[in-house]
Amino acid sequence: MIFNSIRWRLQAWHGLILFVVLSGFGLTAFQVARDNQWRRINQELEQRLGFLAFSLMSPPRAHPPRWRTSAAGVGDSQIDHRADARPAPEEMGEAGPPPDGRRRPHPGFRMNPEAFCERLNRSLERRIAAEAGQTNTFYFVAWGGDGKELKRSPGAPGNVPRPENVRPVQAPGAFGRLSNHQEVMAVRQVVATQPSGSPSPLPPNGAERARAPPARGRGLGPMTPLAPGMRTRGDYREAYKFLPFGACLLVGRSMAPEMAAMRRLAYWLVGAGAGVLMIGLAGGWWVASRAIRPIDAISQTAVKIAAGDLAQRINTADTESELGRLASVLNSTFARLEAAFAHQSRFTTDASHELRTPVSVILCQTQTVLSRERSGAEYREALQACQRAAQRMRHLTQSLLELARLDAGQAAIQREGFDLARAARESMELVRPLAAERGVELRGELTSVQCRGDAERLGQVVTNLLTNAIHFNRDHGEVRVSTGRENGSAILSVADTGQGIPPEDLPHIFERFYRVDKSRSRIQGRTGLGLAICKAIIDAHSGVIEVSSQPGIGSSFTVKLPLKQ
Amino acid sequence: MRVLIVEDEPDLLDSLLKAVREDGYAADGAADGDDGLFKAENYEYDAVVLDIMLPGMDGWEVLRRLRKTKRTPVLMLTALDAVRDRVRGLDTGADDYLVKPFDTSELLARLRALIRRAASQPQPRLEIGDVVVDTVARTVKLQGREVTLTAREYTLLEFLAVHRGKVVTRTMLYEHLFDENDDSMSNLLDVHVSNIRKKLGHAFITTRRGHGYCIEAAL
Repeated sequence: MIFNSIRWRLQAWHGLILFVVLSGFGLTAFQVARDNQWRRINQELEQRLGFLAFSLMSPPRAHPPRWRTSAAGVGDSQIDHRADARPAPEEMGEAGPPPDGRRRPHPGFRMNPEAFCERLNRSLERRIAAEAGQTNTFYFVAWGGDGKELKRSPGAPGNVPRPENVRPVQAPGAFGRLSNHQEVMAVRQVVATQPSGSPSPLPPNGAERARAPPARGRGLGPMTPLAPGMRTRGDYREAYKFLPFGACLLVGRSMAPEMAAMRRLAYWLVGAGAGVLMIGLAGGWWVASRAIRPIDAISQTAVKIAAGDLAQRINTADTESELGRLASVLNSTFARLEAAFAHQSRFTTDASHELRTPVSVILCQTQTVLSRERSGAEYREALQACQRAAQRMRHLTQSLLELARLDAGQAAIQREGFDLARAARESMELVRPLAAERGVELRGELTSVQCRGDAERLGQVVTNLLTNAIHFNRDHGEVRVSTGRENGSAILSVADTGQGIPPEDLPHIFERFYRVDKSRSRIQGRTGLGLAICKAIIDAHSGVIEVSSQPGIGSSFTVKLPLKQ
Repeated sequence: MRVLIVEDEPDLLDSLLKAVREDGYAADGAADGDDGLFKAENYEYDAVVLDIMLPGMDGWEVLRRLRKTKRTPVLMLTALDAVRDRVRGLDTGADDYLVKPFDTSELLARLRALIRRAASQPQPRLEIGDVVVDTVARTVKLQGREVTLTAREYTLLEFLAVHRGKVVTRTMLYEHLFDENDDSMSNLLDVHVSNIRKKLGHAFITTRRGHGYCIEAAL
């Protein structure tokens, strides 16, 4: 299944992570942008409301109030405010002169609810007149203390309900308990705090968050800064404020342009996100392909090797990377595999050669002799040749069987304590006639040492080494056998005074069918398996067999075996 | 016909020499590559049987060096039967290949074929006038009647017949008909020739004085 491939799985994970990251980023960006919009709208509304309220409520003065600059945040609002403030003296005139000749208090604040509403009405009318002909994003609506709509700007949508959380209609004179000065101050404070009040971001869903003024306690209410209430009604965002005598002023605007902008932003974010996701996926696919390519190369090489071409190797140009190291490990494994196969193949070839030669002798001898009548002597000679060939084959098959058993670990190695010196002595007695025949002197320096193992098989090893030492010795040479203990091992050493082994042959001496001098060993009827069997037996005993040789002086074989515990 | 056998296994060499000699060849043996190469280079053999796994110089090397100087047909004899080895043997210049263990009769047949091919005589039956020499059955017929020849007489006749139309010198005859163990006497050659003439007619073998003997191609 192609979708199970590493590349597809990498791609799927990559895509998932990319999608999550992009979505998170997009959502955050959208949220921040929307919060900013909301904050700006709120701020504008609050400012607008503040200035509107101020222009309505401020005592008519010839000069601007000294705190005006601090209240002015938005340029056009300030201009509006001035335009609004200018007509104030006329308004003052309309109010008429005070009934007494005392220093008159502000006329606007000595009024009952009706007068207040009247004043509000007029002020708003002037405002409407001032803004006539202008396109204005804002609208306003005012309600009287009795909940009736007093005035609305032409741009206001129909059916603007009075804000819900209405306080009870103020009884006439509720403000009146305060002195004129106190009232002025209270209203000023209400107005002055509005624009600078820091609006907090709205909840993301834009749910209504009414910032209603706190419930007024007796005598405390007017002194408390009055934050405007805020509400969202469909596409409209509105800020409202309750004025003295239960009147209510609302400023609102349509949010349609902002919502459209947000929608555009959302579309843009989704589009850009999809684009980035596509590019990311393509990039991921490319990276995954690049990362996978060496693995593909490895698997292709492995397929070739599996198909039988053991000489194939993975190209390891970049050996520092993880895959390079993997490739090196695989290469060395392949090399070992190839060596093992080559070894096996050579062994089979050698074994078949060793078996074919005696079979050829028997075939050739018998066919030649049987081709015509022969004398008894000729028959005897042929039979003797056949016997020699058969004996050689027997020796060879026994050796091969022995090796196969040792290889398979089936050879029952007895683990018993025995004296290595005694085994060496017995083997020396066994080969003494052969040594005498060659005129070779056998010398033993045998120190008794107990070790664990199969006495019979280890005796076979010693006999084999001794036979070799005699065969490859010079005439009237000598063979020294020594046993002892060294570094916690039992040591047996067999040294001869023969021709020695050429250095290039030393590493191969324990290989099967390896012969240093083919002619000599062949003539003496040796199979080339003796030392291989010795090594296999010693290996089975967890021992070590080593050889050292000096050409012209002699060779020395050393066997190290574990001591009897 | 004279054959060299290079084989390191003494029992096999002995029986091969015996078989080849009994088939009417003069045969020499060599037990290793160096001896084999020396003999092959210095004597005139009609064929060489060469083992590959030899002590000292191996069969490949003997063949490679021999091919520098001689075109003697070589039959490789080996225990290796992988296709790779056979291809290598034939590519190195061997003329035939025989895998151990082999039947003696097959070896002898292949030797005969090699020698015929080397003398450009692909037919095993040579017809010279009214004399027919059958190199497989080793018989000679004159006008359809079998003529009894000794082994020596037959080999001499066969050699001359194979090289029909060419003058064969006495040296060549000695080289090809006697092996190194034969106590060859030069006058024996004349005796054999006169015996063959008695049996097959005087004109059958002509004497080129100072050169040697010849069976005329026009007969």
